[in-house]
Amino acid sequence: MPVYDAVVIGAGNGGLTAALTLAQAGKKVLLLERHNIPGGCATSFVRGRFEFEVALHQLSGMGSPERPGPLRAMLGEMGVLDKLEFVEMENLYRVVFPGTFDVTLPTNREQLVKELSLRFPKDADGLSRFMDLVYRFSMEMVQGLFFHDPDISREKYPVYFTYAFRNSQDVMDEFMESPFLKAILSVYWGYVGVPPSMLSFGDLAIMLWAYIEFKPYHLKGGSQALSNALLDKYLASGGEARFNCAARKIVVDGGAVKGVITEQGDRVDAGVVISNASTIHTYIDLIDRDAVPASELDAFKSHSIGPSAFTVYMGLDCEPADIGIHETTNFITTTVDADRAFSLWKTMEQQGWALLTCYDVSDPDFSPPGTCQAALVALQYGDPWYAVSPQEYADAKYRYAEGMLKLAERVFPKIRDHIEELEAASPLTHLRYLGHPGGAIYGFDQYAKDSPYFLTNRSAIKGLFFAGSWVGSGGFQPTLTSGRSTARSVLKALRKQ
Amino acid sequence: MALKDVMKDIEGYTRITEEIQTLRKYGSDFTDRKGEVERMMALLHPKTVPLVVSEIVTETESTKTFRLTARGGHLPPFQAGQYINVFLEAGGVRTSRPYSISSSPTQTGYYDITIRSVADGFVSSWFLEEARVGDAFESTSPSGTFTYNPLFHGNDLVFLAGGSGVTPFMSMIREVACKGLDRRIHLVYGSTDVKDIIFEQELAQITQRHPNIQVSHVISSPPKRYRGLKGFITAELMQELLGDLSAKTFYVCGPEVMYGFCRAELEKLGVARRKVRTEVYGPPRDVTSQPGWPGDVKAGDTFSVKIRGGRTIPARAGEPLMVSLERSHIVIPALCRSGECSLCRTKLMSGRVFHPEGVKLRKSDRQFGYIHPCMAYPLSDLEILL
Ligand SMILES: Cc1cc2nc3c(=O)[nH]c(=O)nc-3n(C[C@H](O)[C@H](O)[C@H](O)COP(=O)(O)OP(=O)(O)OC[C@H]3O[C@@H](n4cnc5c(N)ncnc54)[C@H](O)[C@@H]3O)c2cc1C
Ligand SMILES: Cc1cc2nc3c(=O)[nH]c(=O)nc-3n(C[C@H](O)[C@H](O)[C@H](O)COP(=O)(O)OP(=O)(O)OC[C@H]3O[C@@H](n4cnc5c(N)ncnc54)[C@H](O)[C@@H]3O)c2cc1C
Ligand code: FES
Repeated sequence: MPVYDAVVIGAGNGGLTAALTLAQAGKKVLLLERHNIPGGCATSFVRGRFEFEVALHQLSGMGSPERPGPLRAMLGEMGVLDKLEFVEMENLYRVVFPGTFDVTLPTNREQLVKELSLRFPKDADGLSRFMDLVYRFSMEMVQGLFFHDPDISREKYPVYFTYAFRNSQDVMDEFMESPFLKAILSVYWGYVGVPPSMLSFGDLAIMLWAYIEFKPYHLKGGSQALSNALLDKYLASGGEARFNCAARKIVVDGGAVKGVITEQGDRVDAGVVISNASTIHTYIDLIDRDAVPASELDAFKSHSIGPSAFTVYMGLDCEPADIGIHETTNFITTTVDADRAFSLWKTMEQQGWALLTCYDVSDPDFSPPGTCQAALVALQYGDPWYAVSPQEYADAKYRYAEGMLKLAERVFPKIRDHIEELEAASPLTHLRYLGHPGGAIYGFDQYAKDSPYFLTNRSAIKGLFFAGSWVGSGGFQPTLTSGRSTARSVLKALRKQ
Repeated sequence: MALKDVMKDIEGYTRITEEIQTLRKYGSDFTDRKGEVERMMALLHPKTVPLVVSEIVTETESTKTFRLTARGGHLPPFQAGQYINVFLEAGGVRTSRPYSISSSPTQTGYYDITIRSVADGFVSSWFLEEARVGDAFESTSPSGTFTYNPLFHGNDLVFLAGGSGVTPFMSMIREVACKGLDRRIHLVYGSTDVKDIIFEQELAQITQRHPNIQVSHVISSPPKRYRGLKGFITAELMQELLGDLSAKTFYVCGPEVMYGFCRAELEKLGVARRKVRTEVYGPPRDVTSQPGWPGDVKAGDTFSVKIRGGRTIPARAGEPLMVSLERSHIVIPALCRSGECSLCRTKLMSGRVFHPEGVKLRKSDRQFGYIHPCMAYPLSDLEILL
């Protein structure tokens, strides 16, 4: 067995960009993935004539080639842009309260404010001031944090320092009256997994701002194309990868990483391990108990396992317009009470909240001619699924999916008549494919206390690093970025040696 | 200034650090979740299931049912219509074959697989001739999507079976009968000869007791003076047997030739594609007759396959690459052996292969040179990455 500079455990977004960055820096890297394909969440599967996108709904941070966002810039640096074709979405999203309210937000700030002001004239002024705040906050954050202003201070960036940790609901309440308007503006809470009453304003603001400024994107071939492109580049850069090969143990001796033992029992020596697996799996399952520093276990105590998702993937034998789908991104909600919807995530009760994404609206080639696919997704915790007995699992899954489909039918009444393929994925499906407790797709719950400010990608064990959702924010852009920045920390540490 | 130092000035910072301190007093350090993910997976989808043959029943001259029970531990549940891929060693070669489970999912103590020996069948003949009670196997956990989906299949089902393709239907019928479900089922079952019908008696008994389940046998080479339905499952025959088709969902399972045939017949009847579910059934008998096969390559042509960083092995054009690998004692992950599950997904570094129609490659896998060796046929010398 050769000796590696680094072993990367897990080929999710974070693992892939970490491995690629190290390989491109000339390091000898081994990437281990328990599944047979790279991507983790960022993958797809085929049923009949449809290829279902598992996870990616709206890619953030892309921007256009003329005005690249941070993600496009990063993918460009890694040399994978030429293999990928990105598709810009026309609108930000549609929000439907069935039978009550229906609005579609354009991706342009002025038009967005105009559209919502027309619909909520009483709140027009507050809305425009709220959007000003969103923008001022985001500009300050970009200036001060992303560009590493050495003179960053409360005085220089007052909005950022005042609002970063405030909760989104309070801030919205200060500016606007209508609960519908506020629900519409904060509908992305479902992307973070934290209701507005607990969601940091900073998280909401930067997300709104980034999707408006850099536009939501998808890509041809779905997120699997991105995962494949990253792996391809990694292999071409001299990296080695093994699939169907989980890490079973991280060997730690004298407080430092020595290597990894694979599920087949091979020992691989390396002074650095980057884990894209959950921090829980890494410390609790992969490392001998007596080698885990007490401080790391202690740090776990302030975190809780975040939500997973329940998704109904549908292949439809019609064009989107045939059944009234005119937007790519459709949030369907029966309530403005996000706290209540959120409280149902820990139960098997229907939430009355879902997102229906139809990629074919913005990319007509996404599915075969005359067909389209719709992914109907709601976040849900793994907990209630743990209580389902194996014998009852299939029935429970169909029941939950049926409830979600009924909700979708309230907006798209003919959808069921066109289903050609349908697959449902529960939190246990994600647990199976990701190996994460609870099937968590964003790592830990993402309250302010769990934000990147309070997390670190480096372990107290020498040579052990992390990349991905368990040490930062979940989602595509954050995890792809996390892998790259972890790799940079590793390169720095290696240079010091 | 580093972020760490200025962070303290963010409004609410102290409150959050206090919250973290409080939580650290009472929170869980997750040590009680050791092995949790593996335990959860072992319940539903263990990677392999250790099995032993507990009983063998002769069904017809060429067909036997093998009752498989767990060798310790429990059997993961399955949905009627699913299959297991059975790993075994035959003739000194380690290989595997998928078989639909024919027993009812309500029988949690065993999986029955019912195997018909096919002409020159490597594994099927081994099973029929060599397998004994007490033989031990491993299989995958139950897989496949040829199952009833209550969200859109409705309550009126037609099963079109050919030969040993009746096995998944047997499981579905047994389940409906056992649970007393109100799903209406009409099984139209094609066999070569009357003596080839599998499960004939049990099916007759079930239809007697359950008016919602109907069975029609169609015999393609019947004995003289046979008075039942003869020939193939044609549009006319279905029209006559089934009446109004508009609300029905069709399931097709049988030999490869049956799919093309039945699909065309159903199309004649105006049955929408979404109303027709088909099960995969392994590689075609003769790949060179598949549409798109290049005329200049013969089934017997042999190419060399280099495994990056390893050996070079011979591979016949007319055989799936996975089989050539197994003949050279290289076993790669396998599940459906029909090109649809992607478990065998492998990177092709150079050379050309043929994938018959219906192989379910992802778009980007095609773009980045991945193949499904269980249904990929070499058309030139190859290099692959395992
Ligand atoms: C249904 C769904 C919808 C989503 N929608 C969006 C969206 O619209 N926008 C967005 O930005 N994000 C979305 N996400 C979230 C996003 O996909 C994830 O947050 C992100 O992909 C996580 O990346 P990661 O780097 O943390 O790795 P993960 O994807 O979590 O992958 C971890 C990898 O590690 C591997 N692994 C684990 N243990 C081991 C071991 N012992 N040995 C070897 N390998 C191991 C796993 O097999 C896996 O491949 C969605 C996710 C899902 C499932
Ligand atoms: C989802 C699914 C469900 C199925 N369910 C059933 C079922 O319920 N009942 C049933 O009877 N069948 C079922 N089948 C078909 C079954 O999997 C086998 O294809 C069938 O038993 C024939 O296999 P075989 O090995 O006998 O023949 P083949 O694999 O077709 O063998 C054909 C030829 O290849 C040669 N050969 C193949 N492999 C090797 C090797 N490794 N080394 C040397 N020579 C080799 C043999 O010499 C022979 O000449 C199912 C298939 C699928 C995909
Ligand atoms: S084993 Fe399923 S695709 Fe090859």
